[in-house]
Amino acid sequence: MEERELQNPHHPQLQIITTISSPPNLDATAEEDPSKLSILTRFHAGYFRISLSLCGQALLWKTLSEPTTDAHALRPVVRMLPSAAFVMLWSLALFTLVALCLLYAVRCLFRFRSVRAEFAHHVGVNYLFAPWISWLLLLQSTPFLRPHTKSYLLLCWFFSLPILALDIKIYGQWFTKGKKFLSMVANPTSQITVIGNLVGARAAAQMGWRESAVCMFSLGIAHYLVLFVTLYQRFLGSDSLPAMLRPVFFLFFAAPSMASLAWDSISSSFDTSCKMLFFLSLFLFASVVSRPALFKRSMRRFSVAWWAYSFPLSILALAATEYAQEVKAQTANLLMLVLSLLSVAVTLILMVFTALRPNDLLPHDDPFLCSNLIRH
Amino acid sequence: MELSHQMESKDRQVQLSTKQGLPEELPSLLKCIVSKTVAGFDSVECSGMNYPTQLVTLPSPQEDPTVGKGLEAAKLHGQANVIFGPPPSSPVEATDCHQPHAISFSMPASPSGLHISQAAKVIFIDKAGPTAIDGQLNQPSDSDTVNSQQPKQEKFHSQPIPTGNSYGKATGGKVSDPFESQLRISRNDNQRDKRFDSFKTWSGKLERQLSNLRGKPQEPDLEANDCHSAETETVPAVDRYFDALEGPELDTLRATEVSVLPEDKKWPFLLRFPISSFGMCLGVSSQAILWKTLAISPSMSFLHVSLTVNFILWCISLALMATISLIYSLKIIFYFETVRREYHHPIRVNFFFAPWIACLFLVLGLPPSVAVNIHAALWYVCMAPIFCLELKIYGQWMSGGQRRLSKVANPSNHLSIVGNFVGALLGASMGLKEGPIFFFAVGLAHYTVLFVTLYQRLPTNETLPKDLHPVFFLFVAAPSVACMAWAKINGDFDYGSRIAYFIAMFLYASLAVRINFFRGFRFSLAWWAYTFPMTGASVATIRYSMEVTNVLTRSLSVGLSAISTLTVTALLVFTIIHAFILHDLFPNDISIAITWKRPKFNKKLAHLRSASSDMKDIEASLPKNNPELEL
Repeated sequence: MEERELQNPHHPQLQIITTISSPPNLDATAEEDPSKLSILTRFHAGYFRISLSLCGQALLWKTLSEPTTDAHALRPVVRMLPSAAFVMLWSLALFTLVALCLLYAVRCLFRFRSVRAEFAHHVGVNYLFAPWISWLLLLQSTPFLRPHTKSYLLLCWFFSLPILALDIKIYGQWFTKGKKFLSMVANPTSQITVIGNLVGARAAAQMGWRESAVCMFSLGIAHYLVLFVTLYQRFLGSDSLPAMLRPVFFLFFAAPSMASLAWDSISSSFDTSCKMLFFLSLFLFASVVSRPALFKRSMRRFSVAWWAYSFPLSILALAATEYAQEVKAQTANLLMLVLSLLSVAVTLILMVFTALRPNDLLPHDDPFLCSNLIRH
Repeated sequence: MELSHQMESKDRQVQLSTKQGLPEELPSLLKCIVSKTVAGFDSVECSGMNYPTQLVTLPSPQEDPTVGKGLEAAKLHGQANVIFGPPPSSPVEATDCHQPHAISFSMPASPSGLHISQAAKVIFIDKAGPTAIDGQLNQPSDSDTVNSQQPKQEKFHSQPIPTGNSYGKATGGKVSDPFESQLRISRNDNQRDKRFDSFKTWSGKLERQLSNLRGKPQEPDLEANDCHSAETETVPAVDRYFDALEGPELDTLRATEVSVLPEDKKWPFLLRFPISSFGMCLGVSSQAILWKTLAISPSMSFLHVSLTVNFILWCISLALMATISLIYSLKIIFYFETVRREYHHPIRVNFFFAPWIACLFLVLGLPPSVAVNIHAALWYVCMAPIFCLELKIYGQWMSGGQRRLSKVANPSNHLSIVGNFVGALLGASMGLKEGPIFFFAVGLAHYTVLFVTLYQRLPTNETLPKDLHPVFFLFVAAPSVACMAWAKINGDFDYGSRIAYFIAMFLYASLAVRINFFRGFRFSLAWWAYTFPMTGASVATIRYSMEVTNVLTRSLSVGLSAISTLTVTALLVFTIIHAFILHDLFPNDISIAITWKRPKFNKKLAHLRSASSDMKDIEASLPKNNPELEL
C-alpha cells in the first residue's frame, strides 16, 4: 500500500486507502519521543476545526445577547447569562486560535514539506481556509472593537487577502489543472472554501464596503452552485471521503446558512432570497440528521473530526436568529432557541470530551494523518 | 462484487455435488438450482437422470386431456420440450422398470393452466407421489428437510433421494390410490398459488389468516412452514434492476434474465397494478386545472368556457383518485413485499410522489362552486408525505452509495422535484407565506442539480433512454410550475417567473420538433403522467397571457391547451382500447419480479430455450447417474 502511495502520491483514492490502513510505525522513533516534533508531524490544518467552532460559538453568543426590540423574543432567557461568560468564551476562542496559529507557523517552518503535501491533498487544502475564517469570525464577535474603526478595517483586510489568494489558486485548479479537476477532488470539505468567501463578504458588508462584499459573495455563490451540483452527483461515490471524516457532512447545511447571513448583511434585510437559502439549509440539516447511520463509523472513537459538528450548527443557529428577527413568529423564535441550545450543547460536549481525552485528539490512526505525507 | 462472490461460492457448491454424485449430495444440488428458480432446469435434470429413455413427449399423455392442454400451451410458446411422465391417474406399476422415483406430469386437472417455466419445460414432480406408495411416513419429513432449504417461489422440485427410499417400497407392488391422487391434485392447485407468496404481505400469512377467519378449510400443512427461505426477503439492490431490466421505464426484462414469477400466466390483479397508475390521476386532474384556468382567466374570456367542464373533470378525477388509491391500498395490505420492490425500483420510486401531487392538483382544480376557502391544515397534510419522501430520496442522492444521482438520474426524477413547486403554488394560493418559500427553495436547489445532471448525460448514467420517449416531457413540468409558483409567491409575474417560463417554452419546443422520435414505444399507463407537463405549460402560458395580453400569447394559450386536451383524449382512447379490447392494460409487471441474483445458468437457459436437442446438453452436464437411484 505504501509503495502504491509513493508512486501516485496525488491520487486521492490511493491516499485515502493508505491513510485508513496506515500502520503506526511510520514515526516509530518519533512517537517514542514525545517531543514537539512528533506533534508537529501529526498536527494538520484540520485542527482548526476547534477554533472554527469556538469562534462560531462566540459569534452566536454575541448575536443572541444583542438587544432586540421584539417583545416576543426569547432572548431575555439568553440575556440572563452573565456577560462574563461571553467574555470568557471569547478569550478561550482567542487563546485557542492563537495557539493553533503559532503551532501551525512552527510547522510551516520545520515541516514545510508536509505543509506542501497537505496543500496537495484534496481534503487538507480546504482547511487552509479555516484559520482565516476563524480570525474573521473572532473579529466580528469581538466585544471591544467596533466595525467602523481603522483597526477593524485593517484586520479585516489582513484576514481576507489570504482567502482571496487561496481562492485564485484553488478555484483555478478546479477547472484548469489536470489532476485537480473538480469532479475528481470534490468532497464535502470543499464547502469550506465557499464559506470562507461568504464570511469575508459578511465582514466586508458589516464594515460598509458593499462592493467588495458583493464581489466576495458572488465568488462564493458561483462556486457554491458548481460544488453543490457536483457533490450531489456523487461522481466518485463515497470514495472521496474516509468514513472517519463523515462529520464534515454537516458542512452541507453550513454553506447555505452562511450565504443567507452574508446576503442579509449585504441587503440589510432578511428578504426572500435569504429565506430561501435558510430554508434550504434547514432542509439539508433535516436530511443529514435523519441519517444517523451515516455517522456511525466515525462515532466509534473520539477524534478531531468530531469538532466538525459544532461550527455548522452555530451558523445555522445564527441564521435562525436572523430569520426570527425578521419574521417575528412564535415558531421562528422556537426554532432559533432550539438550534441555539443544540449548538451550545454540542460545543460544550465537545469541550468536555477534549478535556477528558486530549490524547485522542492526536491519535495514531488519525485518518488525515500527515505522517504519510511526510514521505514526499 | 458481492454478487459474483456469491455466485462463485454457489458454483463451487454445485460442482462439489455434481462431482460426488452421492445420494446425499443431490438435495443440495437441487437446492442450489432451485434457489435460482429455474424450475425447468431442476426437474429436467432430475428426470434426465432418472429416465434417460423417457424423453418421449407425445405418446403417453395423449390419453390425458389435461396434459394435452399443456401440449397446446407448449406449442403456443414454441418450445416443445415438454416432459411427461405417466399421468397421475394411472396406477404406479411396480413392474414398470422406468417407473420414476418422482413422477413428472404436466398440470394435471388443474384449472390454473400449464405452468411453463422460462425454458418452457413442464415439470411438476409430484412430491406426494411416493406418499401414495408408502404412506405418509417418509414424505413429510423429507419434503420438509428439502423444502426448508428452498425459496418460496418454487414448490415443485424433484426429490429423487426421498423417493429412492420409497421406490424400494414401491416395488412392493402398491398401487396408487386414485383418491389420493386426487388429493394430490387439489393440493397442487393450492400449492400452485404459493408462487406469489413471497410477494404477499408476511409471505402470505396474512392471506391465510384472513381465509381462516372466513372459515375456509386449512390447507394441509406440508409446506406451511416452508421456505423460511435461504433467500431472505431483501429486495434486489439497485444494480440488479439495471442489470436485469432495460427500456426507458426499466420495465422490460433482458434476454438473459429470468423472472421469478411465471411470465406466461396472468398474475393476480393486485400484483399487476403498478404505482404508475397514479399517472392517470395526474393527467386527468391537471386537465381539470386547465379548464378551470381557461374559464376564469380574464385574457381567455373570449373563449367563453364554462365552469361546468372543470366541474365534470374534477368529479371524474376525484372518483378516479379514490378508486386507484383504494386499489393500491389493497395492494399495500396484501402485497407489501411487492410494494417494497417497487419502491426500490429506480424509476418507480419517483411515482410514489404521484398520489400526493395528484391530491395537490385536486385541491388546485377545486371548482369554485364546491369550495372557495380551504383550510391551511389540508396543505400541511398533503405536503407532509412529500416532505418525508424527499428527505429520503434527496438524502440518498447526497450520501452516495448505490443510489447516487450520477448513477440513477433519469427524467422520472422530475416527479420528485415537481411536488415541491406544486406545493409552493398551492400554498401561496391559499395565502401561506413561509411554507411555500420553503418548498420552493428546496425544489429549486435540487432541480438545479437534476437539470445539470440530466443535461450532462453522464457516462455513468445507465437509465437514460437513447431514443426519446414520452418521459422526456417531464422536463417541461418543473420550470412551468415553478414559474407559476414564483408568481404566486411574489404576487406578480416578475422576471424570475418569466425566466422560468421561457425555459419551459424552450424545452417544450425542442421536444415538440422531435415528435418523430416519439414513435414506436409500447403504451403503458405511466404515459398519463407525461401529459401533465403539457397541461402545466398551457396553464403557465395562460398565466403569462394575463400579464402580456396580445394575439400571440392568446393564440399560443389556445394552441397549447388544444394540444394537451387532444393528447389526453388520445390517451383515453388508447387506454380504453387496451382495457376492454386488448385486455392488456395491466400486463404482468416484470420489473418487480426480477431475481435477487443473476441466474447462474443463464447460458444453459439460452440453450434450453432454443430446441429440444438441448435436452441432451443438459443430460450431459448432469451428474452421473447414481446406480442406487437408477433402477
